[in-house]
Formats: sequence, structure tokens, C-alpha cells
Amino acid sequence: MPISCHSALPQIRTDTALTLALAGNPNVGKSSIFNQLTGMGVITANYPGKTVEVNMSTATFDGLQIGIVDLPGTYALGAVSEDQWVARQAVLEGKPDAVVVILDATNLARNLYMLLQFLDLGFPIIAALNIVDQAKRQGIETDARKLAEALGVPVVQTVAINGKGLDELVRVAVGVARSPGCCEIRSPGYGQDIERAIELLSKEIESKITDRPYNLSARAIAILLLENDPDFVGLIESQPNGQDTLAAASKLAAEIERDHGEAAPMRIARERHGLAGTITAQAETIKRKPSSYLVDRLWQYTTAPWTGMPILLLALASIFGFLFFAGSYLSTVFGDLWAALLSPIIDGAIYFVFGQSVISKILIWGPDAGIQASLSVGIPYVLTFYFILALLEDTGYLNSVAFLTDRIMHNLGLHGRAAIPLVAGAGCNVPAIIGTRVLTTMRERVIASFLIVLVPCSARTAVILGAVYLYAGWQPAMAIYLIVFALIFAVGIGLNKLMPGQPTGLVMEMFPFRTPNLATIIKKTWYRFKDFVFVATPIVLGGSLVLGALYETGYIWYLTGPLSPVVEGWLGLPAVAGLTLIFAVLRKELALQLLVALALVRYGHDAQNLLLFMDARQLFVYALVNTIYIPCVATIAVLGKELGWKRAALIVAATVTLAGVIGGVANWVMGSL
Amino acid sequence: MTSAKVEEYLEAIHKLEQIDRPVRAHRLAECLKVSPPSVAEMLKKLCREGFVERTADMGILLTEKGEKAAIGLVRQHRLWERFLTDVLGISWDKVHDDACRLEHVASPEVQEGLEKLLANPDTCPHGHPIPSKDGVYAQQNTVPLTNLGAGQRALIVRISEEEPEMLHYLATLGLIPKIRIKIEEVAPFRGPLLVKVGKAKYALGREVASKIQVSEIVN
Repeated sequence: MPISCHSALPQIRTDTALTLALAGNPNVGKSSIFNQLTGMGVITANYPGKTVEVNMSTATFDGLQIGIVDLPGTYALGAVSEDQWVARQAVLEGKPDAVVVILDATNLARNLYMLLQFLDLGFPIIAALNIVDQAKRQGIETDARKLAEALGVPVVQTVAINGKGLDELVRVAVGVARSPGCCEIRSPGYGQDIERAIELLSKEIESKITDRPYNLSARAIAILLLENDPDFVGLIESQPNGQDTLAAASKLAAEIERDHGEAAPMRIARERHGLAGTITAQAETIKRKPSSYLVDRLWQYTTAPWTGMPILLLALASIFGFLFFAGSYLSTVFGDLWAALLSPIIDGAIYFVFGQSVISKILIWGPDAGIQASLSVGIPYVLTFYFILALLEDTGYLNSVAFLTDRIMHNLGLHGRAAIPLVAGAGCNVPAIIGTRVLTTMRERVIASFLIVLVPCSARTAVILGAVYLYAGWQPAMAIYLIVFALIFAVGIGLNKLMPGQPTGLVMEMFPFRTPNLATIIKKTWYRFKDFVFVATPIVLGGSLVLGALYETGYIWYLTGPLSPVVEGWLGLPAVAGLTLIFAVLRKELALQLLVALALVRYGHDAQNLLLFMDARQLFVYALVNTIYIPCVATIAVLGKELGWKRAALIVAATVTLAGVIGGVANWVMGSL
Repeated sequence: MTSAKVEEYLEAIHKLEQIDRPVRAHRLAECLKVSPPSVAEMLKKLCREGFVERTADMGILLTEKGEKAAIGLVRQHRLWERFLTDVLGISWDKVHDDACRLEHVASPEVQEGLEKLLANPDTCPHGHPIPSKDGVYAQQNTVPLTNLGAGQRALIVRISEEEPEMLHYLATLGLIPKIRIKIEEVAPFRGPLLVKVGKAKYALGREVASKIQVSEIVN
């Protein structure tokens, strides 16, 4: 189970001398700063039912243990989107000693919006003015002193990518955090009438609300109520006198609306933007017109209609190719190393303890065959995919992909951000499903995960190639892919119709090209990978042991009977083939390997040529069913972890049903030709 | 020439027109904190001078001449606000009243100098757009953002409020009425739009963009 923020946030506070939270817009170099400040020991926690995560780690500064909480990158704090909610909740509950807000010097005005919200909430703030090097190249000079004066918080200039200014940043942050109350927290001043409304409401809150949520100031709560924040409206409503306060808030909000012709939350947002713009104008001098650099112009080709699509196809082909080749290379290396080095030791140990018994044979299925399975199937592809994903994220290309594919994805109830995980599914479903974390709603994640489960992964491709292409030619092999793709579209359209809720619209910032940082990419890859290994490996081990026990004790053969009506009658396959499909739950390509092995046992050496044992039609149906039905055990494990076991079970049941129906129909159609 | 008092009335009517048209006399009285009889008297004067017309049910509407004058004043007011914050460094919450006085007394030469100095900024410190000299911002013809193509510029007029969460989210990004945007790119096959707001670029899906009503800015 993932670690809950409710337990992890207090934990890091008690474990360390002081805690700092890192906040900032997406793509401002926040994760670079986090990675450079902290070591490898990162805890990832989330709130139940939320997919956006909070990373935590510790750093040492001057012999002081500092807890660092990396908030999700967001444009604002609020209750309107999951990432904003998580970012705010983590600071409200975690109560860091200070918040470091990382600002992108190339787009200061927009970045200041969230800093102003933090000031409204009353947290001690340190601003890190990051990417100053790039801003300078664009002709933007920011006066850190003037900015600090206007904001009333310390400002440190940094270039996170090469670590410049980070020591100074931590020194200043520790200074602020260690001396609470040293610097008066000055909230930004809004327009006079808004300030008046805030003041009136603050007085009301001070006199009527005895237990202020999260110990926030009356002013902070007044602003949140005027903004009609659903969380805080709920929190105040449940308090004695809460109704009166809410009534006062809505009366004041109505006055603001009357005077300004727009709703109070809008008005406050507008004034905050205005304030951010004014502060920026005071601190910034534009030395020259921002000229567009060659790399920026080239980057624009990734979204232009006539160049974007070819670039996308090229990129997808290279991702797929890299995933396939790097993944299968790693797979062979890991598999061989295991077989050569560790496997004999483990087997030897098992035989030494249990002798030549059934127990030994069953045990070998687990620690030996099971781990080898995850080494050669899950891990190489997962590792490779995470690396590619981190690279794409770091350059900003992921957003270009989302932009171009949004239209197609919309038909499936998804939006552009689902494109990369779907393609990655062709390498291995496991990382692809974890990759759906880029999607914001559970509805989207369920649809995307279901579709990914249907995408033929490399192991299923191996079966299609080994059983169908080899014995029946490329046309039937191609036909399987076409059927599966048609099925993916049909399921996507169907789920979009059936599932409650609406597809959410795409609203996403498009970043200029950023040079990727290898250290950041490697660390990101490692954090995600580690998570996968700890979740999937135990389940693969357990699953292997159960199947091993069924096989070695011979109980598996009893299943031939109950399976035969479906396998023989409906799908037209030999009953023994049905058994191998059960083993495919462990590893999809195991089905084919076992088919060959079992055929040898049952029908003698002649059966090595599968055509003597099954005809082309049967091989086609077999590969088709194997491709569609039940994802492998590692995929099921990840589905369960990411979506919950109930949804995972439903998806698994649905794939079995689909495979049965489609396999049977294929058998019947080909039989009647 | 218009007196400061006339100008105040024009501005107030203009502001109230943004909320509801036609404007009612009692709202005008509330807004300016004057008595209804003095409003009635002033309205007669404004009608005579062709700034204002009355509807059949005694509602108040600015004429084209009146609107142009009002927009000019709004522009002056907001330019002064920017001058006070950006050049004199006065806190932005304190500039409104001074700007109110300055806008009425400055000579055309001073106004021109102010414009040159500030290099035609897009918004006032409070985030309101500053109408351009020819008074672009009061356009009535609005179209969904999806009707525009790559390279076009537009002013957000309103965002439909069917989904308050989306509205609020867009507001945090700075996508609010009266803000200028530029459409940089439109994805093929009726895909999303790439929109530039300030220094940031956002991809907006069709379903989101269709809820944003804009008026095109023709340069």
C-alpha cells in the first residue's frame, strides 16, 4: 500500500529539526532543486483516493537534519484540481516551518500568483528566483532586492540545473524557519473595497469562530471564504456560528460582485494577477525585446500542424523501438545473468534443504522462476520506459504529444496526455499503467488502464509472432493486431459512453524546450522504478508459487475437465492448450513455451512442430485469446495498486469475457468459411 | 469639453453597463452616492449633449459618442494608475483615488506623454485591460474562441459558468475576461488550440475553448 500523507507528513516533522516545503509552478526546476538538496532516500506519499503524490526526503545543513517536502507542481493552491488540492493540503496539515516558493524568472508574473496565495495563508516564505540564466539570455533582468522589498520576503537567485545559489537558499530558508516571527508576514494588499470586505469578514471570524481550521489567521480564512473555496466553506459550516459567518461572507461577496460586475472569486483572482503584474513590473527590466532563439523556433515545429504529426510519428516509432530493443536487450541480460549466477545457487539451496521432493519443485517456481520472470519481463521494460518518460517530461515534449493527439483521445474519453502511456503499453503494460498518473481523474485512469491492458505488450507480440506468424504467415498475424486495435477503439468509445462523468477538457501549459538534466532523469527513473519493484515482485512470487503447486502436484490436470466445454467446444482448441492459457497469467509468453512443452509430453516429439498438433485456425484463435484475455500477474498487481482491487477485478473479468467472445466468434467465422 | 462631473457620470454609466443594460437611474444614484433628483437633472444634460439616450422604459444607455468618451476616460484612469505604481512606486492599492483626480485634469499633451512613457501597457495594476486609443475593448460581437484561427488575437469577453471549477482553474492561469490572448496554433483535425496569455502558452481542448467567448482584435 502507498504511504499516506496523513502519517508521513507528521513523521518527517518529528524526525527532523525543521521542515521546508518546496512549492512552485510545473517546470520551474523544482524537482531539480529537490534532487540536489536531498539524497536517495525519498518517501512518496499520497492522500487516499488521490493520484497526485508528495515526495519527502531529508537533507543535512550545518549538522542540522532538515525535512524537505516536495509539493506537486501547480499554478495555484485551491480545491479546483487534484494537484492544487494536494499541494495546499500538504502544507496545511504538514505545517512546514517555511515554504520555499520557486519562481521561474522567465515568467515571473504568472509564478507570483501562487506565492501571493501562500502569503494570504500566512506561511513564512522564501522565494527562489530560478532560471535567472535563461531569463538573462531573453533580455529579462530581475532585481532580486526590489522583488524582495515588494513581496516582503527574502529572495535568492538560483540556477538549479547547476546547483548555483542552492546553499544560499537553504541558509536563508533555515534562518527564516528557525526564527518564527522574525519577519512579519505581510499579506498582499488588494483593492480598497476588497480589503474592506476582508477586514469585516476577519472581524466576524475572530468573534464567532473559536476553532479556526488549521490554525490559519482570520484574514486567511476570510479570503478563502470570499473566494468561495468549497473545502473551507464546508469546514466553517460545520462549526457553531458557522452559518452566520457564511451568510456574512456571501453578503460581502455579493457586494463585490455588484461593484465590479464579476463574481468575488473572479475579482480576487484578477486582483491577484494584477498585483503579480505590478510587482513584476517594479522588479523587472526588459533590456531588449525577447528574440526567439533557434532552439525555441525549432521547438515550435513540434506543435505546428504540418510538422508536428510527422515528428510525433517519428518520436513514437523511436520510443517504441527503444523500448523494444533496449527492453529486450536488458531482458536477455538480466535473464542470462540470473540463470547463470543466482538461479543455480537458489536451486542448490532449495534442494539442499528439501531434497528431491515436490516441495523443492514448487519452491523453485517461486524464488527462482518467479523472480526470473519479473527480471526478464517487467523490470527491463519498466526501467527503460521510466527513463524515456522522465526524458520526455524533462524536455517538455510530452506536452506537445498531448497537444497533437488530444482530438483522437477525446473520442475514447481521454485527452492528449494519455497518448504516451497507451503507446508504452506495447512495450510492457505495467509501467504504462503507472504512467496513467499523468491523468487527473479516476475516470480517465480507469479508461486508459483498461485500454492499456488490451494493448499487446512485447510478451504477447512474442506469442503472436511465435505461434501465428511462424506457422500461419504474416496476414493472420497482422489480422490479430487489427482486431485488437479495433477492440481498443470500441472499448474506449464504449467506456466513454458507459462510465458516469464527462471527459475533462485539456488545459495544459506548453513549455519552451528545456535542456534535460541527466541526474534529475536518473533519480526520477529510480524513484518510480523502486516503487514498482516493491509492489509487483511479491505478487509475482506468490502467483508463481500457487501455479507451481498446482502444476507440481498434478492438480492442474483436473482443470482440463471443467475447461473443456469452453476450450474445446467454443474456442475449438485442444483442452491442453486451455491449460497453458492459465499459465499465461504469470507471463504471457509462458503460454507458448508451455504449449510446446506440454505438447511434447502429451503427443511426443512430433508435436514440436505445432502444426501437427494444432492447425492454423487454432493457432490464430489461441494467440488472439492469449492477447486479449487476462493481463499478466504483474499487470494485475499494478492495476490493483493504482486503481483499487475492485476495479482491477472488473477489468480482468471484462478481458476474460471479451477474449472468450471474440475467440469464439473468430473460431466460428473461420470454421464457416 | 466635458466637466469632471460629466466624466464621472459617463464612467459610472459605462461601468454599470458592463453588469446590466440598460442602466437604471437609481443604480446610478447609488453608485455615485448622489440623490436621485440630481441624477435626473444631470441625465437631462447628458441627453441634450448627445452622450446618453433613454430607452422607452426610462433605462439609460450611452450613445456611441458617450461610450467613446467613457472608454477614453477608463484608459486615462488606468494609465494614471500604472504611472503611479510603475514609475512613482506607490503601492497599487492606494492609487485608485489619485488616478480618479488626475484623469480629469491632465491636458492632452500630458496624456500623450504618459502614453509614450508607459509604452501602451496592456493592463492596469488591478489586472483590467487598458482599452486602446480607438476604444477596442467594448466590442459587442463575441464568438467562441474555437472560431478563431492561428495568428489571430482576441480579447476574452466572458467564460460560460457551467463549470465553476473550470472557470476558477482558468482564472488561476490568468484566463479571465478582458484579458488579451493570441492564438498561436490550432491542432489538426479540430484539435486543441495553443493560446498565448502574457508570457505563458496553454493548450486548450476544443470543449474548453468553445466555452470562452472572445472578441477578435483587428490590428
